[in-house]
Amino acid sequence: MEQALAEFLRRHHPDAESITVAAFEPIPGGFSRETYRFDAVVCGPAGEQRRPYILRKDPPAAAAILHTSRKLEHELLESLRANTAVPVSQSFGYELDPAVFGEPAMVIERMPGSGRTSDLFNEGPDADQVDDVIRHLCELLAELHRADVSAVDPHGGLADPRGVGVDASSWERYIETTLEYYLNGYDGIGYDPEMFVFLDAMQTLRRTPPRPLPLTIVHGDFNPANFLYANGRVTALIDWENARIGDPREDLGWMLTMDALSNTSVLAHPRDEGGFLAYYNKLTGFEVTPEELAWFSMFATINVAVPVASAVGRRVRREHNQFLHLYMVAPSSGALIGFAQMLGYPGAA
Amino acid sequence: MYNSPDVDQYLEGLIFAINDEILPVLSTAKAQTTALMMQAVLQQLRQTIPVYLGYLVDEHNAMLEVVREAAAALGDAAGPEADRIRERAAGLGTAAPLPAPPVYGDVVAAHRVLGQALVDDARDLDVLQRAGDTRADAALAVLRAHWGPRYARDLATVTVGSGFLGRG
Repeated sequence: MEQALAEFLRRHHPDAESITVAAFEPIPGGFSRETYRFDAVVCGPAGEQRRPYILRKDPPAAAAILHTSRKLEHELLESLRANTAVPVSQSFGYELDPAVFGEPAMVIERMPGSGRTSDLFNEGPDADQVDDVIRHLCELLAELHRADVSAVDPHGGLADPRGVGVDASSWERYIETTLEYYLNGYDGIGYDPEMFVFLDAMQTLRRTPPRPLPLTIVHGDFNPANFLYANGRVTALIDWENARIGDPREDLGWMLTMDALSNTSVLAHPRDEGGFLAYYNKLTGFEVTPEELAWFSMFATINVAVPVASAVGRRVRREHNQFLHLYMVAPSSGALIGFAQMLGYPGAA
Repeated sequence: MYNSPDVDQYLEGLIFAINDEILPVLSTAKAQTTALMMQAVLQQLRQTIPVYLGYLVDEHNAMLEVVREAAAALGDAAGPEADRIRERAAGLGTAAPLPAPPVYGDVVAAHRVLGQALVDDARDLDVLQRAGDTRADAALAVLRAHWGPRYARDLATVTVGSGFLGRG
C-alpha cells in the first residue's frame, strides 16, 4: 500500500527525487469509508518536506454503505475550495482502478484540528469552545447553502450522485422522486418488520410535503462528528461522500437526528443566538420552522437509512461478514423511536 | 424486538469479528489464546441458548420424580436423614410440573409472520389514505399504538451507553 501511495503522489510531485510514505495507519470511525492517515516525505530540489495526507478507500462492494463516486467527491472538494470559503481538504486525486489500492480510493490533505468533537459537549475538555465552534459551524453551513449551485456543480453530477432516479430539476420533482427512491428501497431495508416506522414515515412524508425552498448544495452527512476544530473555530468540514443537490433543511434535519443519537447538543448552540436553528435562520432568511425541522429530520434520516440499512440487510442475509453492520442495529434503534415520537405514536415518549 | 438479526446471528458475528478483525492484530500468545477462548464460549452460548429454557424445564420436571422416587426407595428407613428426604419428597416433590416453553425457532417464525402483516397493512392503508378514506387514518392509529410502546421497550432493552462508538 505504501508503495502504491508513493507512486500515486508522484503525479503531484513530478520534481521529487524520492517520495516515502510513513506512519501509515487506519483511522477508526467513519462508517462508510476505510480511512487511513499517513505522511509523505518528499525529497526534491527545495529540500525535504513532510506532508500530511488521508487515504479514503471504498469498502468491498457487498459491505459498502454508500455507493458514491470518489471522482465526484474529488471534483466537489476542489470546486468548494475554488468557489466558497468553506474549509475542506485539498483533494490530490482519485484512483478508480481497484488494482491499485484494492478498491476505488482518493487521497486528500489531512486538515489540522481535533476530530474528537465529543470533547465539546457534556462538560468535556473543550466545552469552553463549544459556542464559538458551533457558531462558526452554523456560518459555514449557511455559506454552503447559499453557494451558487451552478458554480459548485457545473456538470450536474450532484443532482443524482447515487444514480437512483432522483430528478433535481425542481423542488417538487426532487421531493417526489427522492421519496419514490426511498419507498422503492424499503424492501431492501425491511430485513425485519421492526423497520415498520421507516415505511410509515416515508408514506407520511409523501402525504404531507412542506413548503418549497430553493435547492442547494447539501453536505448530506452534516452530523456532530463530521467537522474538525481548533481554538474556537471549525478547521474543516469532512466526509463529503453523500453531498448532493437537495433541500437545505436536510442538513439541519440530519443534525437533529444525529445530535440525539450521538448524545451531543449542537443544535442548542450558539446559546446567545437562541440556538443553531435561530442563528441559521438569521444568516439565511430561510425561516425554517421546528415542524419543518422534524419533517426533514425524517427525510434526511431515511436518506442515510436506505443505504445503511441495505448494507445491514446484506449482512443479515450473510452476503458479507462485517461486524460493524451488526453493531449498528442497536444504536440505530434510537432513530426508530425518534421517528415514532415525531409521528405521534402513543406510548413512544 | 428485532428477530433478524436474532441473538444467534449476533453471537456468530462476534465469532467472525474476533477471527477477522481481532486475532490478526493480537501480538501475544496469551491474548490470542484468550480470543480463542472467547470464541469457544460464544459458540457454547449459540448451542445453549436455543435449548436452555427447554432443558431447564425438562430437568426440573424430571427432578420432581427423582425426589419422590428416591424417597420411596428408602422405604421405612429410620433416622433424621431419612425423615428429611421424605419431607423434601412430600414438599418440593409435589410441586406442579412446569409447562414446556415454546421452541425458539417457532416463536421467531410466528413473530416474523405477524410483523410482516403489520407492514403490509401499512402499505395498504397508505393507498386508502391517499384516496381520502379517513377511516384508514384510524386504522393506522391502531398500528401506531402497538408500535409506540414496543419501540420504547426495545430501546430500553438494547441501549448500551450513549451514541455510536467509533465516531468522533
